[in-house]
Amino acid sequence: MVNPSLLIAVPLAFAFSIPLFGLVSKKIGKYIPVVALLINVGISFILIPQILKKPAVVSIGGWSPPFCINLVVGPLGVFLVTLISSIGLLVAIYAISYIKEEPTEKYHMLFLLLITGATGIVLTGDIFNLFVFFEILCISSYALVAYNKDKEGTEAAMKYLIQGSVGSSFVLIGIALLYGMFGTLNMADIASRVTSADPTFLFISLAFLITGFGIEAAVFPLNAWLPDAHSSAPSSISAILSGIAIKTGVYGVARMIYTIFNADGILTFIAFLGLLTLLIGEMSAFRQNDIKRLLAYSSIGQIGLIVFALGIATSLGVFAGLFQIVSHALAKALLFLAAGYMIYRVGSKSIDSLSGLGRKMPLTSFAFTIGSFSLIGLPPFAGFISKFSIVYAAIQVKKPIFLVFVVIALIATVIEAGYFFKVVQNLYFKEGKNVDNVTETSGYIIVPMIILVISIIVIGIHPQFITGLLKGAAGELLGRTGYIGWVLGGS
Amino acid sequence: MQLITILIVAFLGAGIVYLIGKISGKARDILAVLASLIVVILVSLAYNQKIYTSFYPLPFLNLSLTLRIDPLSWFFAIAVAGIGFLSILFSLEYMKHYQKLDFYYSMMLFVNAGMLGVVLSADFLSLYIFWEIMSWSTYLLISYKGGKAVGAGLKYIVMSTVGSIAMLFAIVSLYTSYGTLEFSSLASLLQTASSGYILFLLIMFIIGFGIKNAIWPLHTWLPDAHAEAVSPFSAVLSGILVRIGIYGFVLVMYSIVGLNLLHKLGYGLLNFNYILCWIGAISIIIGTFIALLQDDDKRLLAWHAIGQGGYMILGISFGTTLGIAGGIFHTLNHCIYIALLFLVTGAVEYRTGGVRDLNQLGGLIKKMPVTFIGGLIGISGLIGIPLTNGFVSKWLIYKTLIMEKHPFLAFVALIGTWGTILSVYKFLHNIFLGQLPEKYKDVKEVPWAMRLPMIILTSVIILFGILPGIPLNVISGIERSFGIKPLSTIIFGMPREIGELNIINILAAIVVAGVFIYLIFSLSTRSRRVNQYDNYAAGSFIPKDKYQYSVRFYDPVYRIIGPYLRDVVDDFYYWLVEKSKSFFQGVRQIYTGNVNTYALYILLFLAFLIITKIGWGLW
Repeated sequence: MVNPSLLIAVPLAFAFSIPLFGLVSKKIGKYIPVVALLINVGISFILIPQILKKPAVVSIGGWSPPFCINLVVGPLGVFLVTLISSIGLLVAIYAISYIKEEPTEKYHMLFLLLITGATGIVLTGDIFNLFVFFEILCISSYALVAYNKDKEGTEAAMKYLIQGSVGSSFVLIGIALLYGMFGTLNMADIASRVTSADPTFLFISLAFLITGFGIEAAVFPLNAWLPDAHSSAPSSISAILSGIAIKTGVYGVARMIYTIFNADGILTFIAFLGLLTLLIGEMSAFRQNDIKRLLAYSSIGQIGLIVFALGIATSLGVFAGLFQIVSHALAKALLFLAAGYMIYRVGSKSIDSLSGLGRKMPLTSFAFTIGSFSLIGLPPFAGFISKFSIVYAAIQVKKPIFLVFVVIALIATVIEAGYFFKVVQNLYFKEGKNVDNVTETSGYIIVPMIILVISIIVIGIHPQFITGLLKGAAGELLGRTGYIGWVLGGS
Repeated sequence: MQLITILIVAFLGAGIVYLIGKISGKARDILAVLASLIVVILVSLAYNQKIYTSFYPLPFLNLSLTLRIDPLSWFFAIAVAGIGFLSILFSLEYMKHYQKLDFYYSMMLFVNAGMLGVVLSADFLSLYIFWEIMSWSTYLLISYKGGKAVGAGLKYIVMSTVGSIAMLFAIVSLYTSYGTLEFSSLASLLQTASSGYILFLLIMFIIGFGIKNAIWPLHTWLPDAHAEAVSPFSAVLSGILVRIGIYGFVLVMYSIVGLNLLHKLGYGLLNFNYILCWIGAISIIIGTFIALLQDDDKRLLAWHAIGQGGYMILGISFGTTLGIAGGIFHTLNHCIYIALLFLVTGAVEYRTGGVRDLNQLGGLIKKMPVTFIGGLIGISGLIGIPLTNGFVSKWLIYKTLIMEKHPFLAFVALIGTWGTILSVYKFLHNIFLGQLPEKYKDVKEVPWAMRLPMIILTSVIILFGILPGIPLNVISGIERSFGIKPLSTIIFGMPREIGELNIINILAAIVVAGVFIYLIFSLSTRSRRVNQYDNYAAGSFIPKDKYQYSVRFYDPVYRIIGPYLRDVVDDFYYWLVEKSKSFFQGVRQIYTGNVNTYALYILLFLAFLIITKIGWGLW
């Protein structure tokens, strides 16, 4: 069996090797993330069948848990790692020719660090280690948001930094409280002893952790950084931030609530919060004329839908939420990549200026269309299956409150459909003004988009490719005793 | 297997046509026609068969997608395939001057495939999937022309999405309650459901199907969409796509819920069928009278599509043998004549350079005789003149209204017909009769590829008008499959025991009257033929271009009824959209751009969580 710790070690090592390679040749740097993530994708695909049979617990330093930092690679972990490295790989390929502004090796290094952070978050079994990886992710994304060195990006990064730091310190306070109560940092160990603590203290710690991770997860009202950050970052980074980074925040919240604290009481509130996030995201997106801002607000909406689904807390609900993570990651990454290159060609972020691109950039526009159709939830694309599952899961719990929630969520879908269909029409059916000299993208740019389009359609038509993995992952989140058992043995 | 083949041919055809189009335009055109023709053949081969196949399992939802063919689905499938084929044939010439033809043909086939999927589905999930595919491809095709069409397309898809979510809600709720989505199992399982639940289901499905079928007050997308789409697609849109809504109504009301349950819905006068038939009646009045006010020929037809939809609803809402037969038959008839009329307007547009304004046309009868005949027969069908198909179905609907003792509704339907006559006469007159404007002097008849579909549709109107027994026989089969007493038919109409209708008698009467009129005319003095421009009004000579008496045809009528016929519902929707837009703008102000506020939000959130816990022990 491949050692899962390689998943973290490989991107980390390659990240720091980039400046070294830079001494040899300036050109090498941009290929290194591709190589590193190719390895990661390979490892994670090898791991999937093995992990589904038997989850792996890797102890680092030879001590057995709970006395060491350990990695817990369950179905959920391996699922998220696969997603992270696949999307990361595609974005890395895109970035080869997309990132032109110097110093590119810094971009590629930070990018790999971001991936390392995200991978670490979903794999680690130690809560302080989780915090460390979380910081790696956040700090590299602060830097990457400001990568273009323009006023907008710097301001957005600054705002993101301030809010992110508040979040990180809250996470740290939450962890400190836990450590004070239990004297251990191992998540499984805390989880197994969580009933012994004073529920009020316990909840205060949970509140800090939810708020802290909630900021990265972009749950309303903690998501004010997102529209700025996602829209002013370079598009490849927006794709990563929307596709992956915010999901690690969701993972953090879910892991805390489900596995560590077993806080069932708060789940309905979380679902409500998700719904609120969904509504506010979609409403804010509706009037946007800046394509990247529109996509950023739509990410808020989609994250709301994911959180809502996870808050349903049945195995189908969690399954649907995880499915939505996949379909949103694919679609939103695709949308940002496509929009990024359209913006690059046209030179403006306003939706009006994208008119008529359907003829000039047929493949890119087609990719954009597929992405938005999938996000709206139209068959036969991936988003349909996930949205259908969410609606099904929510109605299946047979609680009146969830029926109301579903109706509201479906209304939000109408709003979403309204603005996405408008953009698609803009691309194809409106006369362009200054697009005569625009040409189609080429080479490295188009490959990731095509792959994303194909995977959206394939998953939409044949969801069974991933349902097994997702079922396992949902089982891991809901079965906390199982998780404790893997790590601490016995049970 | 047969059904899967149909769908595979339909969908693959759409894809291949697009790819071939990149290589050669000619090959694409031929292939598009062939693909739609093969679908017609495959569907007709399935006549009178009963097939049920499960074609795709979705194990994680414990569902599988299924297809079926029964009389109802065959009836609609053949209409879809037929109209699809004819409009693609018509497109060959009509679309020549348009751009992006690869997209156009591929989407036409795709919409057809989607519709076929809808009518062949045997469970609600497949139905929903194909329904959505149909909806988004329709949206792409409506927007195709650009310009105003973009707004029309957006309006369509937003309303359609509202319908879809209502339907989705009902479908998922059915699945959670009964654990299956197959029509046949649901039909028996639902018999034990409470009337409240049935009512909820019906309302949700009526929103879903009703938006497609454009019943009042869900109709507002239709006039824009029909008018702005390219004419061959308007024919598909108005002829059959909209009527998939009727398919849905019939399916849910009679195939699944069933008559027994339907009759139990309601208290006294306020029962379900009654409300539905009033919705139908309102649609008739609104549709036909707003049509009267239109000056744009396609918009005029579009409003009739709403009005005639009302007749269908009126027919099917009663649930009697005659009524259902009338409703379904009218659906088919409408599909034929409205498709024909849209093709006629398309032909006129084609030759006059896209003119749709009725006030600018006129006198084309001699220039485009085939098109004129098409228009004449088309409007005769629309009005319901004997010897055309519309007569028989309207006769059935009237008969139902009278037999069910709804004289008032019958009166409404009659007024509707009166409005129809006025408005379609204007349609025919302003295009083909009256004075030929100077600029259209060199107009020629349309090419054969456009004539052929019109001729076929015209003949079918006459055929079904004289021999209504052919389609009615299939409709009896549909009724039998619902477990309703089937309509007994003879080839020329209906036998005596259910109220005789024999077209032969009518034919004989008309022939006699015709001969009589001919005799009178030939005995009277010969009329003198004058040049078209040889006109005088009140003794003074009128310049050639000024004289067109059909301009502002119904001006006095407009002045009387115009003020009452504003489309209030549409105004209301616009008001709603505007209000929501400004509300959304307000919501967006949450993101002030000031990082201090954001930090405050975070703190407040944390404080909220902790205070609710400590203060009330909420969590």
